[in-house]
Amino acid sequence: MAEIQVESLTRRFGTTTAVERVSFTVEKGEIVGFLGPNGAGKSTTMRILTGALGATEGRVLVGGVDVFERPTDAKRIIGYLPEVPPVYTDMTVRAYLRYAARLRRVPDPKGAAEQVMRRVGLEEVAHRLIGHLSKGFKQRVGIAQALVHQPKVLILDEPTSGLDPGQRREIRELIQDLSAGEVTVILSTHVLSEVEALCDRVIIINRGRIVAQDSIEVLARSGRTVVLEVESPDASLTARLSALDGVEGVEADGPRIRVRTARDLRAEIARAAVPAGLLELRAENALEDVFLQLTASEVA
Amino acid sequence: MIILAIAGRELRSIFHTTVGWLVIAGFLLMTGFFWATMVSFYIVQGADLLSNPNAAMQMSLTDHLLAPFFGNTAVVLLMLSPALSMRLFSEEIKQRTLELLLTAPVSTWEIILGKFLGAMGFVGAMLLGTLTVPLSLWLWASPDPGALFGGYLSLGLLAAAVISLGMLFSSLSQNQIVAVVLTFSASLALWILSWVSEDPQALVVQMSLSSHLQDLATGVVRLSDLAYFAGFVGFFLFATQQRVDSTRWR
Ligand SMILES: Nc1ncnc2c1ncn2[C@@H]1O[C@H](COP(=O)(O)OP(=O)(O)OP(=O)(O)O)[C@@H](O)[C@H]1O
Ligand SMILES: [Mg+2]
Repeated sequence: MAEIQVESLTRRFGTTTAVERVSFTVEKGEIVGFLGPNGAGKSTTMRILTGALGATEGRVLVGGVDVFERPTDAKRIIGYLPEVPPVYTDMTVRAYLRYAARLRRVPDPKGAAEQVMRRVGLEEVAHRLIGHLSKGFKQRVGIAQALVHQPKVLILDEPTSGLDPGQRREIRELIQDLSAGEVTVILSTHVLSEVEALCDRVIIINRGRIVAQDSIEVLARSGRTVVLEVESPDASLTARLSALDGVEGVEADGPRIRVRTARDLRAEIARAAVPAGLLELRAENALEDVFLQLTASEVA
Repeated sequence: MIILAIAGRELRSIFHTTVGWLVIAGFLLMTGFFWATMVSFYIVQGADLLSNPNAAMQMSLTDHLLAPFFGNTAVVLLMLSPALSMRLFSEEIKQRTLELLLTAPVSTWEIILGKFLGAMGFVGAMLLGTLTVPLSLWLWASPDPGALFGGYLSLGLLAAAVISLGMLFSSLSQNQIVAVVLTFSASLALWILSWVSEDPQALVVQMSLSSHLQDLATGVVRLSDLAYFAGFVGFFLFATQQRVDSTRWR
């Protein structure tokens, strides 16, 4: 049975529908990325999964437990990092994490707090007031809070926002470690490279609906741009490329040529470009293309 | 245990605010001032009455010193308690920390009782600070312990009532100022409600906070008064619980 099962979830705020008939499942140990433009409904969905918010319709099972019918049991196994880390600025990091552990009914709150501070790299600021910490450290305290009770399911709303590149990498590695240990993770982000580096699967949400959900390879296959650089660009090369079956457009900009394709045509394109002195060929960030395509179409 | 954890955090965080210290300082200053003036008044009155032994016999510590002291203290408490309840939910809504509580395996009741107890703990500290004053009576007189007990009980019940009311207002708005103004106005209205009618059995008088404190402050503990406060606090805690739960669905 899937670790997270969401069935036809709908959430309205007055007349606006933030989430509409969203259904998906997440398997144990999987890392799933939520993608979507601002206001798509990512945070709303996550808040419902964690019991912070009720749903207008639908059902959510986490670890086989119905979140609406047995919220307390479900919350025991969920760790949640909201969009804004829920930290008390007048507490020290250590006191706050002990409190968070007690709220989660951890048998040894003190030990759990020390352990999670080590894990997230907060020991050096353990005695400091959270209100005096930098944004990145506050974010880390938020992550620590979500991990302190060793949850089986982690829901992280933009976990790396406000972090510097080094910290981002550390948090990515932390999430990968957790996933290796059978923790199931859903995270949202606006950083596509992060999704590519981290997630097994992507759910793209636009205007409250799921517009795509698949593995990154499959999604990326549906739209591709190949960029090449050649020694001697000329009109015949452009013509040869355009003539290839599956090519949707060719833009030449000096020695750099962008070829939009419907499927993976790297081999064919390379062969066509070799006579012109092929120097470099690479596939452009395909996920970005897909993302923009899927989320822009609805606006028209 | 969870309730105590929540209460402990709440109590500590009131001590971390300027408002908390202002409330406690203001309370001790005002009660100290009242005590001093009342004792000197009592002494002057007593000296005047020395020539009239019959009247002196009727002058009791309870009626002429303790009851007025507790009565005045109650008014100070009525004014200051809204400042203790205003932040209970407003602050958490504004800082977005309520999410931590709402997603923890904790029931709404545990959250509400924890917060209520935390604020009451602070009231306890305030009252403890005044204890030296009436206890000093024992150095030179023998006051009625029942009256002392009743007086403190009346103060505790009044604070509990105002704080439960204030917690509801605090859960309605992320703005603490709105919460404190509403709480203060409502509790003041409930206090002066008894002035509306001369008839002690009239409904408005029965609903008033002050009419249920009068006897308690002289050490007469009546079940009906206790039931009034239990019902009052219970009602507003319940209303707060309904409110907090409903925010998840609206
Ligand atoms: N409490 C609320 N009351 C009214 N409307 C809300 C509320 N919360 C969210 N919404 C609306 O629901 C929609 C989805 O918001 P949500 O925060 O889930 O988007 P998001 O995908 O997380 O966006 P972002 O990428 O900016 O974080 C938005 O139109 C938002 O205005
Ligand atoms: Mg969001």
